[in-house]
Amino acid sequence: MRAAGLIDSEPAVAGSAARSLPWRPSAYLAGLAGYVALTYWFAHGSLYLQGLILVAAVFGILAISLDLVAGMTGLYSLGHAGLFALGAYTTTLLYNDHHWSLWALLPVSIVEVGLVGLVLGALSLRVSGLYFAITTFVFTLVLTVVASDFAFTGGYGGLIGPIFPGFPGGLSWLGQSLIWCCMAGLLVAIAIALGLRNSPFYPVLLAIRDAEPFAAAAGARTALVKISVFGLSAAMAGAAGWIFAFQGIVSPGQFNWAVSVNILVMVILGGMNTTLGPVLGAAFVTMFPAQVNINPFWQEVLFGSLFVLVIVAFPAGAVGLVRMLLRALVGRVRPSASAPRVAVPPAADVSVERPPAAPARAAGTAAVPAVRCRDVVFAYTKGTRVLNGVDFVVEQGTIHGLIGPNGSGKSTLVDLIAGRLRPQAGTIEIDGTPLEHAGPAARARNGFMRTFQAAVLVRELPALDNVLVGLYSRVPRVALRAPVWPVLPGARRDARRMHAAALDSLSFVGARAWARNRVADVPHGVEQLTQLAAACASGPRTLVLDEPLAGLSPSEVEHAAELLSELKRSGVSVVLIEHQPRFVFALCDAVTVLDAGVVVASGPAAEVRENERVRKVYLGQ
Amino acid sequence: MSAVAPHPLELAGLSAGYGRYDVVKDVDLHVRAGEAVALLGANGAGKTTILRAIMGMVKHRRGSIRVHGVELSRMPTHRIARGHAALVPEGRRLFLNQSIEDNLVLGALHLRRDRKRVHELLDSVYDLFPVLGEHRRRSAAALSGGQQQMVAIGRMLMSDPDVLLLDEPSLGLAPIAIDGVADALTELRARGRSFLLVEQRVDLALRACDRVYVLAGGEIAVEERADAVDVEGRALINAYLG
Amino acid sequence: MLQVLLSGLAIGAVYGLVAMGFAIAFYVTRVINFAQGQLLMVAVMVTAAIARTGASPVLAIVCGILAAGAVGVLTYLVAVRPVLAFDRFSFAWLVSTLGVALILENLAAIIWGPTSRSFPTLLSGTSVHVGGATLTLQEVVTIAVAIVLAVAFEVVRKRTLFGKLGMAIAYDPEMARAIGANTTLFAIVAFAAAGVFAGVAGVLIGPITYSNPYLGDTYGIAGFVALMIGGTERPVAAMVGGLLLGVLGEGANRLINTQASDWFPFVVVVVILLLMPEGLFSIGGRLSGLLRGATRPREAAS
Repeated sequence: MRAAGLIDSEPAVAGSAARSLPWRPSAYLAGLAGYVALTYWFAHGSLYLQGLILVAAVFGILAISLDLVAGMTGLYSLGHAGLFALGAYTTTLLYNDHHWSLWALLPVSIVEVGLVGLVLGALSLRVSGLYFAITTFVFTLVLTVVASDFAFTGGYGGLIGPIFPGFPGGLSWLGQSLIWCCMAGLLVAIAIALGLRNSPFYPVLLAIRDAEPFAAAAGARTALVKISVFGLSAAMAGAAGWIFAFQGIVSPGQFNWAVSVNILVMVILGGMNTTLGPVLGAAFVTMFPAQVNINPFWQEVLFGSLFVLVIVAFPAGAVGLVRMLLRALVGRVRPSASAPRVAVPPAADVSVERPPAAPARAAGTAAVPAVRCRDVVFAYTKGTRVLNGVDFVVEQGTIHGLIGPNGSGKSTLVDLIAGRLRPQAGTIEIDGTPLEHAGPAARARNGFMRTFQAAVLVRELPALDNVLVGLYSRVPRVALRAPVWPVLPGARRDARRMHAAALDSLSFVGARAWARNRVADVPHGVEQLTQLAAACASGPRTLVLDEPLAGLSPSEVEHAAELLSELKRSGVSVVLIEHQPRFVFALCDAVTVLDAGVVVASGPAAEVRENERVRKVYLGQ
Repeated sequence: MSAVAPHPLELAGLSAGYGRYDVVKDVDLHVRAGEAVALLGANGAGKTTILRAIMGMVKHRRGSIRVHGVELSRMPTHRIARGHAALVPEGRRLFLNQSIEDNLVLGALHLRRDRKRVHELLDSVYDLFPVLGEHRRRSAAALSGGQQQMVAIGRMLMSDPDVLLLDEPSLGLAPIAIDGVADALTELRARGRSFLLVEQRVDLALRACDRVYVLAGGEIAVEERADAVDVEGRALINAYLG
Repeated sequence: MLQVLLSGLAIGAVYGLVAMGFAIAFYVTRVINFAQGQLLMVAVMVTAAIARTGASPVLAIVCGILAAGAVGVLTYLVAVRPVLAFDRFSFAWLVSTLGVALILENLAAIIWGPTSRSFPTLLSGTSVHVGGATLTLQEVVTIAVAIVLAVAFEVVRKRTLFGKLGMAIAYDPEMARAIGANTTLFAIVAFAAAGVFAGVAGVLIGPITYSNPYLGDTYGIAGFVALMIGGTERPVAAMVGGLLLGVLGEGANRLINTQASDWFPFVVVVVILLLMPEGLFSIGGRLSGLLRGATRPREAAS
């Protein structure tokens, strides 16, 4: 087994530089101590320095909150100035006019703005991309206009904010209390971002961003997750608004659309989807104008030139630049293009390493079929039916081949079975449960998993993290726990278990050696195996594989065949969509042939193979 | 260089891919003047990548791509499209926001100064597909799949290229429409056009072409004259497809 | 009522021209040029500066418009093209075009001073009576020019090979390259046209606003809002969005109170976006599909 060990260690070198081990308490403690010392120093600094820090920290919180939606879920919000304003105005108005307690106003701001964020997200997420940006942009515009044109908000002049209470006598040695407050706020924001990024939920978020069907198939309710993340982000902006109210005056000019755009600029300059990037970006954008003491117009020109230069030269932002340099320093130890293809483990290994929970879950009642479709009709556009009354039954514990020429409706049928599409007529039962009106998430919870024709994975994450996505439906409340992940008692144990399960699954498919390599850097065959590992990791009872052999070399095809037989031995029912007839008939217990949206033949493999029409239509004989 | 005149298409040591790993590895392939060549292979074998590499639509490519001796491997796509090669892409990719005739005329973009020539070409396309001539003002989006495929083939012909590239023109078409495509291919062959056809359907490829290549795992596995492919040969090809 | 409508159309025509500039650049490159408003400002400032030297106002205006076009092209080459070459789907252009906006605005303030200065008037204060309403000649010309430009654009787009090529590039840029389109050249032309539209808007509004380096902010945002009302799919719809925005603002001013034009149009925009999330004239979800699905380039595997 020395050889296997060698393969195990070889490609792993490269990936570890990108994301180090999740938990290193000593490093975090040292960082925390430094942070507290810095805060102490700021709190005793000049008023000028304190002013800078206050603004930088508040915008740091905002930039982090925006990065949660923009970087992690790909939603470019331009509504953050509006959400920020909402927090600041709520605090100021309720304190000035109604004398609410400042400490009660913090949770009030957080909850209020968070709820507004949820509503805004729910309304604008019907459309994505640019129109999400536009809708949130208009939200900011409207809030600014309301703030400037109505009397209760003090118009353009704004309102005078509350004064932050100083430390009680015994603690006055700590210095300026507001600095401690905003630095604490920033720390919490960083902790939330860090927690999310180190939680097993992070790969799921990126999957929702880059490979939504994959995330949905793994059981994530993607729309709900997006809205919730936006709500969390909004709540953080609300908290930033609460802190900002203490810096003096709250006026519309501080929250206009340009501020929204500026926050996004901070995120992009610092580095999208990084923990410290947004903070660096915020510090740079807020402090730069104050630090460069030249003609204010030239200063703005310089500022604008920096925007252009940085983004043109380093499109990944400051943190991206640092990473690039680090990678160059660490050296190119990555496997070269000629690195060995999939390491096919000896057959003995395969039988030892098994998907963790498969046998227990696979004990479905043999009486009901794993999948049963009755008279399924589907049309993408009215009139042209892609599927026209399809009956399709997969018995428990069998491998069922689904073949047919390109365009015969195979993928459509799979999407229907997997819940990505809803049939216009007919019923679909999985393990006896009628699910034709349920989405992919409900299926994942019922032990149903699928893979996609062209591997849909998060390319910037290691193979291991992609497999973690597949475990989503197996870890209770992982989404809810994610923001506070590091401090939860059971979290470390769960994370360890998930990592172990994901590694097991990668071992099972024979791709463990690639666990720490980014999917973007692995060969096509490993990508396919990673997909399979993600689908197997949760120990599904039913597995639908959409052309898992596409693009594999002959030896990889042999290896995949082994895996399928192994899955079948452990009681998993497999639906195999495949083009390569030789392979299908050798491996499958039963085969269904689809052509032009109707079933041409269905039954035991040997029978279907001899069918006259199948030979003619499909095998070209 | 054994041939006196260079071939309409000659690939030598072509490797191409999208990321760190090549999809197509060290492929040698040629199409002689007036020859119809089929490129067969399973899904993911790299067929489309070869066509995209010829058109300059793949980011990374190494090796040599010559059309009548002109090296294309460093040319940008839009210059390759000016008469050297033209593509019927997978899924047709018509400009569905425009009419049949607009789609066709856009195909002759580089000939736009020569109106007479464009009209001749247009007439020859309408001659090949009379049904298009009858509906020339109709929106491309309103056509059936088979008719759209005709427009895609016509658009390719409009640039009067040295070599024609067709990516699975039978894909997703009803049997009768596939017959139409096969007829069109036969007609192109009769007109002496040189083309490279990517296909999944072995029967169609053997019927329409003089020679076949079979691609497996990004490499050429088999090269054979179409009329020399007997039952055993078919079995061999089928084995590579599956 | 007619007065409100006509005055609204006059100011809306200016918004519409800026919005069409946004839309033309977006149509071809899928980039929103946040320096679009500053292109208007460049035209105004250059025209005013040349006119101050005693040159003929017509020459000044032509130079102003051309300058806006040239700066548009420069914006594309410096701030847009390199970013798209790195990743066609990132939003990094947001930062770089904003950087250009900052540079232009402050360079103008350095060169010509931050305060308002005179702008040449070609059309003296003659007024035109339409029904019961009175318009200045300037306003009449503004509406006419906007309509002529919008119609001309639509004719070029639909009736010329050049325009059809533009539609092809907008629909499927990769396939357009595969039929021989030089998409880079086309993008340069689009940014030039976007600059010219903004420049024309600038010289039309100049006599009312005078020349001021901060004009770009006001008209850039108005044009952007007009774009959102009209939707991004058809540049001519952006003109309609601009006209609508102008009339709404004018109507709100007269009928609600003098400051209502600040917020009333936005309320309408919110309603429009909630009911028709892709703009008043949305024709389908193709764009949103593009932006939703295509965060990563499609990689054909076979």
